[in-house]
Amino acid sequence: MDTSSPSPFVNGETLKIFVGRRVRTVVQVQRNEGGVLVGQSTDGHQLTIRGATDAPESPHYMEVIGIADSNQSIRAEVCTDFGENFDAGVFNGLCKLANETFKPLFL
Amino acid sequence: MAAVRLTPNAVEAVLAGDVNLRPIVQVLDVRCVNVSADRWRGNVSDGVNTVPALFAGQLSALARSGAVRGGTILQLDEYVINNVGGGPRRIIVVLNMTVLRAECDIIGNPTITPETRLPNQNHSGAEQFNGIRQPSVAANSLNTPTMLGHQAPVFQPTAQPSYRPAPSYKNHGPIAKNEAPARIIPISSLNPYQGRWAIKGRVTAKGDIRRYHNAKGEGKVFNFDLLDSDGGEIRVTCFNDLVDRFYEVVEVGKVYVVSRGNLKPAQKNFNHLNNEWEIVLDNGSSVDLCPDENSSIPSQRFNFRPISEVEDTPNATILDMIGVVISVSPCTTIQKKNGMETQKRIINLKDMSGRSVDVTMWGEFCNREGSQLQETVERGVFPVLAVKTGRVNDFGGKSVGTISSSQLLIDPDIVEAHSLRQWFDGGGRDASTQSISRDATPAASRNAIRKTVAQIKEEGLGMEDKPDWVTVKASVIFFKNENFCYTSCPNKEGDRQCNKKVTKGTSGLWYCDKCNREFTECDYRYLLQLQIQDHSGTAWVTAFQEAGQELLGVSASDLSRFKEEEDPRFAETMLRCLFQDYLLRLKVKEETYGDERRVKNTLAKVERFDPAGESKYLLDTISRLVAS
Repeated sequence: MDTSSPSPFVNGETLKIFVGRRVRTVVQVQRNEGGVLVGQSTDGHQLTIRGATDAPESPHYMEVIGIADSNQSIRAEVCTDFGENFDAGVFNGLCKLANETFKPLFL
Repeated sequence: MAAVRLTPNAVEAVLAGDVNLRPIVQVLDVRCVNVSADRWRGNVSDGVNTVPALFAGQLSALARSGAVRGGTILQLDEYVINNVGGGPRRIIVVLNMTVLRAECDIIGNPTITPETRLPNQNHSGAEQFNGIRQPSVAANSLNTPTMLGHQAPVFQPTAQPSYRPAPSYKNHGPIAKNEAPARIIPISSLNPYQGRWAIKGRVTAKGDIRRYHNAKGEGKVFNFDLLDSDGGEIRVTCFNDLVDRFYEVVEVGKVYVVSRGNLKPAQKNFNHLNNEWEIVLDNGSSVDLCPDENSSIPSQRFNFRPISEVEDTPNATILDMIGVVISVSPCTTIQKKNGMETQKRIINLKDMSGRSVDVTMWGEFCNREGSQLQETVERGVFPVLAVKTGRVNDFGGKSVGTISSSQLLIDPDIVEAHSLRQWFDGGGRDASTQSISRDATPAASRNAIRKTVAQIKEEGLGMEDKPDWVTVKASVIFFKNENFCYTSCPNKEGDRQCNKKVTKGTSGLWYCDKCNREFTECDYRYLLQLQIQDHSGTAWVTAFQEAGQELLGVSASDLSRFKEEEDPRFAETMLRCLFQDYLLRLKVKEETYGDERRVKNTLAKVERFDPAGESKYLLDTISRLVAS
């Protein structure tokens, strides 16, 4: 397994810790503003996703792997449509555990 | 001597019970009545009438030194009236006074007050001597000193000075005993070592009459809870005859003076008040209504805990809670373990802590407060509900249930309710909340003890008298496809089908031993053996009719027909279920087959594995693991 470039799970809150690094998050697509996607993170923050190709429409959820540009924007490398039936609360719970209580267990 | 005016009619007014008059009187004479105790008494005059006066211990020095003597003009600042010897004779016990003039000619032409019987509702102060017991006094001697002991009596304003019961001496033989209620003390200062006491409190709760049977026979009992102006709480219990005497007297919300009774350690499993004692009334007890009571005693005392705190509260904790009612479920009837039916209703409460909780109402609460809440919520209004004495439950997350001593108050007029209302109307309504009652998860994982397959064996489940009910997340790895069902009796007796095994006789008909009848057609019921597996191991499980059909999605008779007709659907049905994840609810119980004892796992319920629900369950488990 290549662990040289991990993509840690983040939500809107924990994105800011990883600015400039690769992250993985899930957003609910809200709108597409001329190629820049606006989505809501699982903890209710507004995030802008650049470079998302073949992005699904609102209200689909989408997984984004990419580089955190700032504390509320990501330059996407891989986007995956997660459909409408996605439990944001559970993902958010995972992000919290992965970045707080059980950080040592995660890359 | 016109410079000093004695208070006109002071003697009469004071004897009539006016202890706030602070009259100016003249001392006619002073004498020492008990040298060893240094106790002095005399007569005082208002210019017309006189009355005997006893000076309290701390005033003795004034009399001894001659600062108070015949002719001295006094203002009586604090004093009480005392009956002497059980008769109508009354004296003033002076507790505090001011010498206005040391010496003065006798004013007016005072005469000794005729010892008329004054009405008995007059106030008196035998009880004011701060717990010092009034010694018995020979009945007919005015001159016998009232011995107060060596300690100086100290006048202490009681918490509620408006009520001072009249003493009533009954002459039982040579000892006269003050039968009057004792002075009122705060509930918090009650203890079993006090002889006479009275407390004054508002009834915050009243229980129903309960009947009991024990080794001593049967009887009845009821109790009520009192709250006083200092915030002290105590439970009062009455048995048998006293139930008849006091049950009708006591009303919730009214204020009573309760006097006499036995203090016993509080039975904490029934009594959740903040007091280590409870009162058991006896034949000498009195419970008297105070009709003119103002609002100095609150009608209820709460110790509200935010819902977020309930999350970390252990099972069976008793607490008070307040929140906005978000939803009310319909009333359902459920059967209790003893076979009786009871009502149940679940409401959802939310508060400022960002959490919500399920409150389970039982019995009468469902129809009383429950119906009212349901109507209100259906109108689109969200009432505030205060729960007094709720019990924390940890079935499926945390919830709070009512117990018999619980009280539910809808939109109570208290500060907490108003601020909650303000918060809710000012945006709290839309604030997101997280439920601490695991309501969103599937039914099977609620109320369930999760085990791994290996734990069933390792922990020796099912060995006790009662079966163990557990939930495992596992997949089916093998179905025994022979003898997966049996032929059963279709005979119905009332609503119940016989379902006993029927055998095909020589006549070609199906015969039932139990019903002693033959049938042309029989039913098929599952008796399906299957093997399950999770990461920890494998186990054999039996699925009967309902569970079998739930798992396979096909009835036993259809599957049996598929098999007979060599229909490919027979194999497909079973293959479709293999290696799928399920939440399986199992009944684990040791059973005896001949000489052999074996733990048998019976499938009670099957639920499709739901990743989101399972993730929630795992998150919940992790958070509890971290917390512990």
